[in-house]
Amino acid sequence: MTEGFDRIVAAVAGMEEAARSFSDECRIVFLRNITIEGIDTLLTRNLYAERIRPIVQFGGYGTMVQDVLAADGAAGSDADLIVLALSVDELDASYGSPGWTSHAASAQLEGLFELLASRTRATIAVHSFIGPLWSEQGLIVAAEDRDLTSQTAALNRLVVEAVRRHSPRFVLMDWERYLRRLGAESALDPRGHYLWRAPFKRAFLEVWAQQLARVVCALRGRAKKVLVLDCDNTLWGGVIGEDGLDGIQLDRHQYPGRAFFDFQTTIRQLAARGVLIALCSKNNEAEALDVIDHHPACQLRRADLAAWRINWNDKASNLSALAAELNLGLDSFVFVDDSALECELIRQLLPQVTVMQVPRKLHELPPLLLRDGLFDTLSVTGEDSRRTRLYQDQRQREQLRSAVHSIEDYLRSLETVARIHRADNGEVPRIAQLTQKTNQFNLTTRRYSEQDIRAFIADEDVEVFSLTARDRFDSLGLVGVLVVFIEGTEARVDSFLLSCRALGRRLELAMIARCLAKLREQRGIEISRAEYLPTARNAQVADFWPSVGFSVTGTADGGTRYMRLIDGHAGGTPTFVTIEDD
Amino acid sequence: MTTPAIEGRFFRILSSLLQVPLEQLGHDTSRKSCQAWDSLKHMHLVLALEEEFGIEFDDAEIADLNSAAALLDAVSRKVSA
Repeated sequence: MTEGFDRIVAAVAGMEEAARSFSDECRIVFLRNITIEGIDTLLTRNLYAERIRPIVQFGGYGTMVQDVLAADGAAGSDADLIVLALSVDELDASYGSPGWTSHAASAQLEGLFELLASRTRATIAVHSFIGPLWSEQGLIVAAEDRDLTSQTAALNRLVVEAVRRHSPRFVLMDWERYLRRLGAESALDPRGHYLWRAPFKRAFLEVWAQQLARVVCALRGRAKKVLVLDCDNTLWGGVIGEDGLDGIQLDRHQYPGRAFFDFQTTIRQLAARGVLIALCSKNNEAEALDVIDHHPACQLRRADLAAWRINWNDKASNLSALAAELNLGLDSFVFVDDSALECELIRQLLPQVTVMQVPRKLHELPPLLLRDGLFDTLSVTGEDSRRTRLYQDQRQREQLRSAVHSIEDYLRSLETVARIHRADNGEVPRIAQLTQKTNQFNLTTRRYSEQDIRAFIADEDVEVFSLTARDRFDSLGLVGVLVVFIEGTEARVDSFLLSCRALGRRLELAMIARCLAKLREQRGIEISRAEYLPTARNAQVADFWPSVGFSVTGTADGGTRYMRLIDGHAGGTPTFVTIEDD
Repeated sequence: MTTPAIEGRFFRILSSLLQVPLEQLGHDTSRKSCQAWDSLKHMHLVLALEEEFGIEFDDAEIADLNSAAALLDAVSRKVSA
């Protein structure tokens, strides 16, 4: 049950005293040919909540033009917002007669729009017109759009065109949309229409008042600029730390995945309008970002994010840090979280922040951010849509310092598994191919045919190791080769290479550590020798051998030779690569 | 039947919508005697009373309910019906 209108009147009257101290005021004039009284009370209530004091006037019935033109007319020259409220059947008394066209009404509207654009400095809130609920043509589709529905649609195209032409001074109040949302039963008042020329029920007036309040907020710079989102059970269903990438719910073919999927769609729509998107979540950063970067159904990507604080600190501190990083006031922040506790914490510690809790009924989640129009502005510029990018560039510069740490986290989140074993004949083609193609991570760049590799595998004194890798998303396939010649208790590395698709994961460290350990355990090898032969393409591995414990023993044939003892500490296996032996 | 409860709710609504203190209102308050009670206030009064009491006035009678006594009587009849 809605609040009685008399109580709203009383509540507004009770606030008048306090409202005198509001620093923002807004002069609003309604030009109309119908009765819409009541809208003033509802709009005033909404604006008082924003600490804006409206001064509302109504023009006379059907005297829109006179009200604009008269020097002392209602519109005056000092209105900030002029709101139109027009009924077509009041504009043109022949509305509805057979063969009626909207030409006369169109001409009146065009004239009024031009008058408002040229004679006032106000923002003009126009509206769409509501077509007839019943077709006067019955089942017939009228020729040449000679029916009331088509003619109303033509009027509405004219209205939209005028708004485009005069944007951002003109703004559209979409009455047709209010009707769709509420239904005719709740929106329209036929009795009011006939008794008082008042066609709308209060539910309709409330939706309209809410939209008008958003216009005033936008005019007064109150539109929200930053959307800060929690992750688990807000951006997706479930908890990434417990359910994992495959377990969280974001599948648009399932419940509740689809609700979260659609919610993400609206977030991206806001981002496209220039709203800055930030994350604030209690999580391991790498795990949460893993969803953003790699979940196939996650629409929100890193490129959409202006900033994030994913850690175990309290969220009030994190929001303050985000405000500092983005250089925006907390009063332009909207914070969304599923936890009542977190929401309450922010409400108490940072009352300037607008807090929204994820609805318990998940079907109410997708429209959550659009419903209240918190981010509404009167226009979107190219600058707005580039804004996220600008903030990102800045952040990347600032975060370069801590990059090493976050790379480790990132690699850990990939959950790479490496299988390192003696090559078998089935792997010969791929191994030969790698020796022929690999240039960058290749210590000696010796090219071998399939026959060569097959001969190596058959040779007691040659060991060929292969490395096959996969991570949580995909298999990388066979990506590493190590060829070792056995000479008594010594091993000489003939070739070591890694496919470029496996670079940057420290797999090379795992490969060397594992293979040396095998040589020692299985063949009693105590010393390993190796060499680096420089080419035009392999400078990146010039210092590889020293980085895994080898010492220089000399130079020969343009290359550098190295040696190391194979002790118990084969060492160097990164903790974020899991080794599988067979 | 007009009960004290109905009367209390009725005059509270009349007072807040006409913005006239309760003590200045009575059964004899009418559109003629009360300047604040204009046609717009009358509309809001009708809508608010219907909402408050879950009733609906007949289209034709609305224009004739021009005093507190007439309105209160119509409300009471519809509530007990």
